[in-house]
Amino acid sequence: MRADSVAWERAAEVRGAATAWRLAGFIDQPTERAIQERFPDPCVAPSPVWRALTAGAVAAVVLCTFGALAVTIGRSATAAQIVLVMFAAVCLVVTDRLEASPQFARRGAAGATSLLGVGFFLAAVALFLMETLGLRANEGIDLFLIVSLLAWALGWWRWGSPLFAALSALSLFLLLGRLSHGRLLWLLVGAALVGLAARRLDAESWAPSHRLGASVLAVAGIAAVYAAINRYSLDEHLIETLARFSPERVAPSRTAFAPSAVATAAVPLAVLAWSLRSRRTFVLGTGIVLMALSLLTLHHYVYLAPLWVVLSVAGATLVIVALVVERVLGRAPDREMWGFTGEPLFSDERRQHALQIVGAAATFTPATGTDRPGFAGEGGKFGGGGATEKF
Amino acid sequence: MNPDVVSAVGRLRSAGILSDRQAVFFDRVARRRLVSIRFEIRALLYVGVLLLTSGVGVLVAEHHREIGPIAIASGIGLATAACFAWVIRQAVPFSWGAVEPPNVGFDYVLLLAVVLLAAELAYAEVEFTVLGPRWTYHLLVVALVYLAVAYRWDSRTVLALALSTLAAWRGISISLLPGGSWTDDAPLRANAIVLGTLYVGAAAFSVRRRLKAHFEDVFANAGLLLILGALVSGALAKEVARPAWLLALLIVAGLVMWLSLRLGRSLHFAEAVVGAYIGLVRLLFETFSQGSGESSVAFLLAALLGAGVLVLISVAYRRIRSQEDARER
Repeated sequence: MRADSVAWERAAEVRGAATAWRLAGFIDQPTERAIQERFPDPCVAPSPVWRALTAGAVAAVVLCTFGALAVTIGRSATAAQIVLVMFAAVCLVVTDRLEASPQFARRGAAGATSLLGVGFFLAAVALFLMETLGLRANEGIDLFLIVSLLAWALGWWRWGSPLFAALSALSLFLLLGRLSHGRLLWLLVGAALVGLAARRLDAESWAPSHRLGASVLAVAGIAAVYAAINRYSLDEHLIETLARFSPERVAPSRTAFAPSAVATAAVPLAVLAWSLRSRRTFVLGTGIVLMALSLLTLHHYVYLAPLWVVLSVAGATLVIVALVVERVLGRAPDREMWGFTGEPLFSDERRQHALQIVGAAATFTPATGTDRPGFAGEGGKFGGGGATEKF
Repeated sequence: MNPDVVSAVGRLRSAGILSDRQAVFFDRVARRRLVSIRFEIRALLYVGVLLLTSGVGVLVAEHHREIGPIAIASGIGLATAACFAWVIRQAVPFSWGAVEPPNVGFDYVLLLAVVLLAAELAYAEVEFTVLGPRWTYHLLVVALVYLAVAYRWDSRTVLALALSTLAAWRGISISLLPGGSWTDDAPLRANAIVLGTLYVGAAAFSVRRRLKAHFEDVFANAGLLLILGALVSGALAKEVARPAWLLALLIVAGLVMWLSLRLGRSLHFAEAVVGAYIGLVRLLFETFSQGSGESSVAFLLAALLGAGVLVLISVAYRRIRSQEDARER
C-alpha cells in the first residue's frame, strides 16, 4: 500500500474511535474535534450506501463498455484476450490513481475497478491458457489457480481489500486440494496460515486493512484445518473431489476415521479456548460456527432425537445460554468478567446493526438500531473510566 | 489490540486532550483487555429463536397426526403465553417516543412470541378452518397483531414483519381471486403501489405527529420498495402498457430522488436511482437490439447512462453533505 494511504487509514482508525467515544458519552464534542485536528484524514468517506451506489454505477459503466467491445469483436479468442488485458490494465491503473487521491480513495469506485481489473486479468489468463496455449483442463486449472492466488494476494497487498485476501486464500486451498494428499496439505498449510496470520493481527507495522486481511486469512486457515479433519468431509471425500481428473486420486485412509471423529469435536473447542484466551471476537464467532458444524456432524452419524427435538433443544439452549451469559456479565463487578462485558462499549455498534439488518432482510426493510449508545448515563463502572462529568 | 488507537491514546494523554482516567479506559479497550461480546450474545439469541421456531415448524408438519391437534395447539399456545408473560413482566411503560429495551434478550423473546403466535393461528386455521374460505384474512389478523405488538413494545423488527405480512396478505388475496393468478401481474402491481403509498404516508404521519417517529425508516423503506418494485416490474414486463409503466417509474423515481435529497435520506435516493437505471437500461436494450443478439450501441449507451448516474450520485452526495455540514454548524 502507498505510505499516504496507510497514514490516512491510521488516522481514520483514531477518528473513528473518537467518534465512538463521543457517541457513547465518554468524551464531548470539543474533545472529539481536538482529536480530529491532531489526526487529520483528508479522505472523503461517504456512508456504505453511497459507496455501494458508486461502486455499482462504476461497475455498470465498465461492464457495459466491455460488453460493447465484446459484441463488436465477436467470438475471436485472441481479440477477446487483448480486450480483457486492455480493460484489466485500465482498471488497475485507474484503481491506483483513485487510491492515491483523498477525494476518491474511499468512495467505492476504487473497490469496483480493482475487483473488475483483477477479474478481467484472470479471465484473460484463463482464455490464454485454454485457447491460445491449448492446455489440457488439469494443467490449465492448476496454472489458473496459481495466477489467481498471486493476483488476489498482490491486489490485497496493494489496496488492502480483505475480500482479495479471502479470494487469494480460496485459490490457495483449491490449488492444494488438487494435489495428491490434498487433505494433508489443507491441514498443514491451514495450520501454518493460522500461525502466520495470528502473528500479524496486532502488528503495528501493518496497515489497518492489512491487519483485517490477516484476520480473514486466519479464519480461512481455521476453516481449512476444520474441513481437513471433519469426519463427514473425510467420509464423503469432500476435499478429494477437488483433485485432478485422473485415476490418481487418493482416497483417505480408513485408519484416519477414528482420529478424525475426535478432532471434529476437539478443533472447535480449541478454537473457542483460543478465542477466550486472546479475547478476539472473530475467533469466538468462528469457534461457535465450527461447534455448530460439529454438532450437525454428530447428528448425521448418531441418532440423538427426532429433528424437531434437536432443533428446539438447540434453539432453547442457545437462547438460555445467551441470556445467562448476559445476566452473569451484567451482575459481575463493573459488569465484566475475565475481560469480557455484555455492554456495547463503543466499538461494535455497527456490527450489532448488521445483525439487525440480517434479521430484517427477510422482511425487506433494513432496520436501524435501538440500542443504547454505550454507557452514557451509566458510567463510572468500568475500571478507571468515568473521568468526565458525562459519566 | 488496535496499535493505532493504543499509540494515539498515549499521545492524546500526553497532550492533555484525554484525562488519565479516560486514557486508561480507552487504552484498556484498544488493547483488548476489555472486550464487548454484545454482538455475539445477540447473534446467539437470534439463531436460537430461528432454531426454536424451525423446531416447532418441523414438529407440526411431521407429527401433527400422532400428537393430535389439541395437544399441539395447547403446547404452542402455552409457549406463546410464556413468552408474552416474560415480555409483559420485563417491559417498560408505553411511550410514543423511542423506548429502549430493558435488556438485550427482550427483542428476541418478543420476536419468538409473535412468531409462535402466528404459528398457533396458522395451525388453528389449518386444523379447525376457523375462517373457512376467507382464510387469507388470517394473514391480515396476524399483520394487525404484529402491528399492535410493534407499537406497544417498540420493535422495528416486528413492525417489518407486520408490513411484509400485510403485503403477503394482499398478494395472496389477489392471486386467489377468480381469474387471478401469479402470472397476471397487473392487479398485484396495483396493490403493491397502493400499499406502498400507504406505508410512505404512514412514515410521513409518524414523523409529523411524532408518533413513534423512529419507525419512519421501516415504513418508508417498505413503501418505496413496494412502489418502485411494482413500477420496475411493469417497466420490464412484456405488455403493451410498458411505456406507461416506465414513464410512471421515471416520474416516481425522480420525485423520490428530489425528496430524498431534501430530507437527507441516502438509502431512499439509492433505491430510486437503481429503479430508474434498470428501467432505462431495459428501454435501451429493447430499442437497439439486433434480432436475437445485442447491439454494441445499446451497451455503449448503457455505459453512458451509467456515467450520467455517477455524475448524479456525485452531485447528490455533495448536496447531502453540505446539508449535513450546515446542520452541524
